Amino acid sequence: MTPSPRSVSRRALFQGAGALAAVAAVPAAARAQGGALRLGALNPLTGAGGSYGPPMRKAIEWVVSEINAAGGILGRQVQLFAEDDQTNPEAAVRAARKLIDVDKVAAIMGTWASAVTTAVAPLCWESKTFLTTVSGSDTITQLPHLGYLVRTQPNTHLQIGKLGEFLLSLKMKRVFTLAAQTPFAVPSQKRLAEVLTKGGSEQVGAVIYDKDKTTFRSEIDQALKARPDMIYMNGYTPDVTVVMKELYKAGYTGGKVAQAYAVNGKLLNSLPAEVTDGTYTVAPSPSIDSVAYKRLAKVLGSDDLDPYSCQCHDHASLVLLAIAHAKGDATGTAIKDHVRKISQGGGVKVESAAEGVKLLAQGKEVNFDGASGPCEFTETGDILDTRFRYEQAEKGKFKLLRIA
Amino acid sequence: MDTYLVAMAVFAGIYALLALGLNLVWGLTGMINLGLVGFFALGAYVSALSTKALGAPIPAGLAAAMLAAAAAGALVAVTTARLRGDYLAIITLGFSEVVRIVASNEIWLTNGTDGISGIPGPLRGRVPPEAFNLVYLGIVAAVVAAVYLVLERVRRSPYGRVLRAIRDDDQVAAVAGKPVLAFKVEAFAVSAAVLGLAGGLYGHYTSYIAPEVFVPLISIYIVLALTAGGTGTNRGAVVGAVLVVFFLESARFATGWLPGLQPVQVAAVRELVIGASLILVLRFRPAGLIPERIERIPRPSSAA
Amino acid sequence: MTEVLQLVVNGLVAGTVLAVPAIGFTAIYAVLRFPNFTVASHATIGAFAGYVANTGLGLPAWAAVLVAFLVAGLAGVVNDELVLKPLRPSGALTAAIAAVALTIVLENVVRFIFGNDLRGYDLPIRRDWQAGGLRIGPQQVQNLAIAVVAMAAVFAFLAFTRMGKAMRAVADNPMLAGIKGINADAVARAVNFVGMGLAGIGGMLLGLDTSIDPLTGFRVILSVFAAAVVGGLGSIPGAVVGALTIGVAEELSLLSLAPAYRTAVGFVAILVVLTLRPRGILGERAY
Repeated sequence: MTPSPRSVSRRALFQGAGALAAVAAVPAAARAQGGALRLGALNPLTGAGGSYGPPMRKAIEWVVSEINAAGGILGRQVQLFAEDDQTNPEAAVRAARKLIDVDKVAAIMGTWASAVTTAVAPLCWESKTFLTTVSGSDTITQLPHLGYLVRTQPNTHLQIGKLGEFLLSLKMKRVFTLAAQTPFAVPSQKRLAEVLTKGGSEQVGAVIYDKDKTTFRSEIDQALKARPDMIYMNGYTPDVTVVMKELYKAGYTGGKVAQAYAVNGKLLNSLPAEVTDGTYTVAPSPSIDSVAYKRLAKVLGSDDLDPYSCQCHDHASLVLLAIAHAKGDATGTAIKDHVRKISQGGGVKVESAAEGVKLLAQGKEVNFDGASGPCEFTETGDILDTRFRYEQAEKGKFKLLRIA
Repeated sequence: MDTYLVAMAVFAGIYALLALGLNLVWGLTGMINLGLVGFFALGAYVSALSTKALGAPIPAGLAAAMLAAAAAGALVAVTTARLRGDYLAIITLGFSEVVRIVASNEIWLTNGTDGISGIPGPLRGRVPPEAFNLVYLGIVAAVVAAVYLVLERVRRSPYGRVLRAIRDDDQVAAVAGKPVLAFKVEAFAVSAAVLGLAGGLYGHYTSYIAPEVFVPLISIYIVLALTAGGTGTNRGAVVGAVLVVFFLESARFATGWLPGLQPVQVAAVRELVIGASLILVLRFRPAGLIPERIERIPRPSSAA
Repeated sequence: MTEVLQLVVNGLVAGTVLAVPAIGFTAIYAVLRFPNFTVASHATIGAFAGYVANTGLGLPAWAAVLVAFLVAGLAGVVNDELVLKPLRPSGALTAAIAAVALTIVLENVVRFIFGNDLRGYDLPIRRDWQAGGLRIGPQQVQNLAIAVVAMAAVFAFLAFTRMGKAMRAVADNPMLAGIKGINADAVARAVNFVGMGLAGIGGMLLGLDTSIDPLTGFRVILSVFAAAVVGGLGSIPGAVVGALTIGVAEELSLLSLAPAYRTAVGFVAILVVLTLRPRGILGERAY
């Protein structure tokens, strides 16, 4: 597939051509040869995550075009190869192979679904391609990725911990989990039980279903048999839509809670208000006060950005800054070795990659804080902490409860 | 671009193995196996789990895949060998669906719909991707050649003649004193072993398998490959498989030129054309491109 | 105990709905003598035709079901004329394989137009009725009613109309029917229209309560085949008996198996019947 037309602007190319002469020692590794820096974007343009992929890709494209407009990195333009993972691990693996084998990218940015990331990760670390993801499953950073993976999404441990605390604050005593088959289904279940028990409540049961079915009647029956006062719907939009319909038909009147990527605007529009009213949603909150967020909001044309495009903005920024810090060495290994040097520690605080590249060229150190948060990573690639956003559905719209 | 061609060739080789397996049981013995993708899946999972979870070396994983598939094949054959052709088609199709459902739901064993990733491959990670692909192509080509030679041997042997007799009229074969059921079960089991081997090779190549890969559509690809290439001949099987893979991949490029199609529509067009091609072949060239030549038993020279 | 009763209730409803496409399948088998796998894709076609009628044209459920019947029936006749009829002389196996290939083609036509996403009919979502620990949905009851009406219509058609009687004659003894001057082609077209139309109704009924996608028909085909085989391939009352049996068996299997294994129940049932009593409950060709 040809790179998207927006990613390499002709004007920027001519601007950068003059600076090409300044390119000094460039390592002779296959992917870092003189010429454009090659990066890959792999996002869910279709499938269960299909509403998030396009803004995610747009965020990455914008960061790349900003860098190119400012002359690229050490005079080299950045070329972006973008593919659709279809929210499907099999399609994602094929797309990733193309990006790695044919396009020879140094990094793949923005995988969304945990199953997709789990499938693609081994291809990346084996070929020394750097992978940045928004997937949350604990199991992902536990893979033997040798440092070739970071994620900007809080992991399951953190997410479910906050969810559990939220449910405890609502005085829920009996929580039942209905989960789709995903890598985070079992870790979520365990973590929720842990948090609830510590707070004096109980997870009265958990069921994991195959999300490709059109009816979940038996699973709902199982849930209702346990007489919960809150049901946690841990799935994706298509299956959660069916679950909510069937909960309503079955006469369930208790509380419902889900992740915001599942119960989102699209779902609220497709179901009547009686079915969705009162559902709580949880999502990691981007740094809405940051300069990066505000600039991105203008580009994407929305005041209320989803967390994933914010994270993708940060992915592209981090990758490009790492390459710049490595003096233009555009390989996965270089990114791996330099990404933490520009994201945490001492150094001038920057919120844009273009600004950071300029400072690095002057020999200064930088510390990037992004639109999704401060972007400080542990050894295994997790972020340290983040804030969360709690909302509730009311008459077909979301009402913000708090950000904490 | 050449890595892409090499990858295509590897898939052609794997499909060729599947077609050879189907030819043994359908072309030679007359038992349709529309559930061949179930044995393919079984082999893939057994080899993946043996090498990843149990740490066995890849050849051991492949051997285990063949054994498991053969055992399953024997079981299926014993229960269904007496069924009429069209019933057998539906039952074997049902079998492959059951395999897929089990793979999707027994999360403790197969990791369910999330699939198994990080399946080891020979030298993967220690050599650049181009070298890995070439090495793998070599392995697959060698396996295809070996299986082809063995199956050709079988076809020409007296054993092969019995199988064809059973295919043409198993009642006559029974009257002639051949234990028809035993032959059928054996042929099915050997065929299943080949299918399982192909599955193992698939998993180690792609490094990732999931239940949604193993759909009846793949069985149809192979039926098309065999019918187009020439049912009953091993050469036809290989030729047909290469044609089908070539066709599938060029369809991918061709639909890239059709503007404004979503990926799901592109996929739909490809599948649609495969189904239509099979219908066309059945209609207009049922003997395939390389029809089976009935070998005549040489006439003893008449003395008089 | 209520749990078992609930499952039996669900099973009887599911079985009645399953009977509709099962009758279609077995009728086609009785007249044309091969298992027509395209019942799967015609069920999907019917479901989507009904969907368009309901959400696009705003028709109520019962009218949309009629649309499903007509569109699927027409498609059935066209598909048979173009694709399957020329292949029937090559034998039942070739026809069966062609039917599998054709079902893939049709399913992908639907996928091309509508994509893979789940779609729901535009019907009010109502709470189930509860009584004595059992619950049944208003939609389920409506499905039951529609299925019963459809089956009654089929029985009346076969018993009282000329074409219906001709169909029975051909199913019973094709050679004799030919000698008596019954036009085999016309009968074939009629049985395809009715049979696939019923498949279309079945597909829509399945989706009314839940949602539809291009795989709707395929998911249910094994159960349809099982219902027909268990009852006796070629026997229409057999299809009804078989469908109720399979419907209840699939629900009762939930007592010990995960919900995803329902299709496996159909598969096992086919194996058991074909091995032990191939004629099925009511016997092949019993009418």
